[in-house]
Amino acid sequence: MVRVPINILVVDDEEDFVEMFSMRLEEMGEIVKGVHSGQECLDILAQADVDVVILDIKMPGMDGIETLREIKRRNPIVEVILLTGHGTTDTAVEGMKLGAFDYLNKPADFRELMEKLEGARKRKAEQEERIRKAESRTLMRKTGNLF
Amino acid sequence: MNNEKAIKLLLVDDEDAFRQALAKRLGRREMDVFQASTGEEALEVLKATPANVVVMDVKMPGMGGLDALSRIRHEHPGTEVILLTGQAAVEDGITGIRSGAFDYLQKPVETENLVNKIRQAFDKGKHRTDLAKEAEMRESLERQMATAERLASLGTLAAGVAHEINNPLAIIAEAAGYMRLLLKKEECATIPFHDQLEKALGKIEKSVGRAKRTTMQLLGFAGQPDAVYREIELDDLVEEVILLVSGQASGMGVTVIKEQNPCPIILWTDPHRLRQVLINLVSNGIAACDRGGRVFIGSAFSEGMAVIHVRDTGHGIPKENMDRIFEPFFTTKPPGQGTGLGLFVSLDIIKRLGGAIQVESKVGQGACFRVSVPRRGKACPEVSNDIDWRDKARELERRDNHGAGAH
Ligand SMILES: Nc1ncnc2c1ncn2[C@@H]1O[C@H](COP(=O)(O)OP(=O)(O)OP(=O)(O)O)[C@@H](O)[C@H]1O
Ligand SMILES: [Mg+2]
Repeated sequence: MVRVPINILVVDDEEDFVEMFSMRLEEMGEIVKGVHSGQECLDILAQADVDVVILDIKMPGMDGIETLREIKRRNPIVEVILLTGHGTTDTAVEGMKLGAFDYLNKPADFRELMEKLEGARKRKAEQEERIRKAESRTLMRKTGNLF
Repeated sequence: MNNEKAIKLLLVDDEDAFRQALAKRLGRREMDVFQASTGEEALEVLKATPANVVVMDVKMPGMGGLDALSRIRHEHPGTEVILLTGQAAVEDGITGIRSGAFDYLQKPVETENLVNKIRQAFDKGKHRTDLAKEAEMRESLERQMATAERLASLGTLAAGVAHEINNPLAIIAEAAGYMRLLLKKEECATIPFHDQLEKALGKIEKSVGRAKRTTMQLLGFAGQPDAVYREIELDDLVEEVILLVSGQASGMGVTVIKEQNPCPIILWTDPHRLRQVLINLVSNGIAACDRGGRVFIGSAFSEGMAVIHVRDTGHGIPKENMDRIFEPFFTTKPPGQGTGLGLFVSLDIIKRLGGAIQVESKVGQGACFRVSVPRRGKACPEVSNDIDWRDKARELERRDNHGAGAH
């Protein structure tokens, strides 16, 4: 069975982390890009196809929460999984309110992460499906009005 | 005569007749008088029965009054001394005052005069001991505050260190995970040292887990600013704890049993932290048991506090360890198996929540930890009405705590 790879964007200011994490995810068969700041993340999103962003909350400059807010404003359909330090549940909850799919503590359990990724991809697919249906419905209504 | 108010007076003089007559007179003035006929004897008597005031002749055979005075001032700083001098011996009196006598009187003494002096000396002595007590209290308070401050700054430092360590730890974990994936590939199955490499990777992963446990405990200790207070039902929390430690329990062949409490207990507290404490305690109980052991967890109400107890049938805590179990890094587990932070962090958290922890244990008969927390925590921030979000946060925190202390 051929599994459709997930398009992932990893955002973390720790370059070594981004590198190793991306290599591991690629080895699992996903398509991965890595960047090191919130701004770079937004730039990539504007031009590339991304299903899930894995986003570190603690970054210098534009932090994870700000980045998340901006992602959701520009492109609400992209799913975001937050990486947090342990004990920052409040920030995680704030992130969830802003529309993040879920969050994980660093260092994260890889199996748990893969589950979350799958979940995020599924939710995105469902959303897209719903939008498609809604669009075709309005299209039909409009055509109905015409004739 | 009110014995408690009586001044305890030691009368020291080598002239028996004079001393006894004076003792009789003073005994009628609400004084508890005992006697000695030499300086040496006076010191003996004081050792057995401390006196408030000593009235002592300067000229005595053997140890004179002045020598006895300096010994008394040294050994009984709460006792005041009045010297009795001969008529022409003002010098002695002055020397006496220099070496700490309250005052001196010349013989022959007038009773009224002496009684007044004794009363004054008594008041001074009392004042002095009060001051000493006050100073002692102040000192112990200052010591406590210094400890609290040290712990607070230690907490900030610990949190910083833990966060700093978590980042490289995440990189190590990802790198090891990546190498493991590579080793699993078909083309790697036959490379030299394949099994040794895999084994080494296993060690790295295990050690990452170990370090991660330490940083997690430290972050719990470090009084995070984001304590979330919520209303919870204690029974739910207990059930979650049992669920979270079930893996550890079944691995060790130990049963964790919830003791029924007929009336539900509703608490306003920080469930995230309280859960971490209970997980630590239950996890310790499990670790103390042999196969077939049991850990009970239950709750009750007592004097406005919710009391949660965690009792086990394990090997118990030896007396000599009792004082140490709450110290940071104290552990009796083999290296790598225990952080020794579980109880230290737990106590810190419970104190922060305004509660206390009590322990009882007999070697061979298990241990019982009692955590009491106020029904309403000290901080009561506004409650969110967003029910859905509270549920979500709860679920998040359940996961968040996965593995904290339980292993
Ligand atoms: N229920 C218990 N029965 C017997 N001994 C206990 C119990 N709870 C704690 N102890 C003793 O107190 C020590 C310190 O406990 P603490 O929870 O602080 O650290 P630890 O359990 O050794 O490490 P960790 O919590 O990381 O596993 C333990 O090593 C053990 O000797
Ligand atoms: Mg422990």
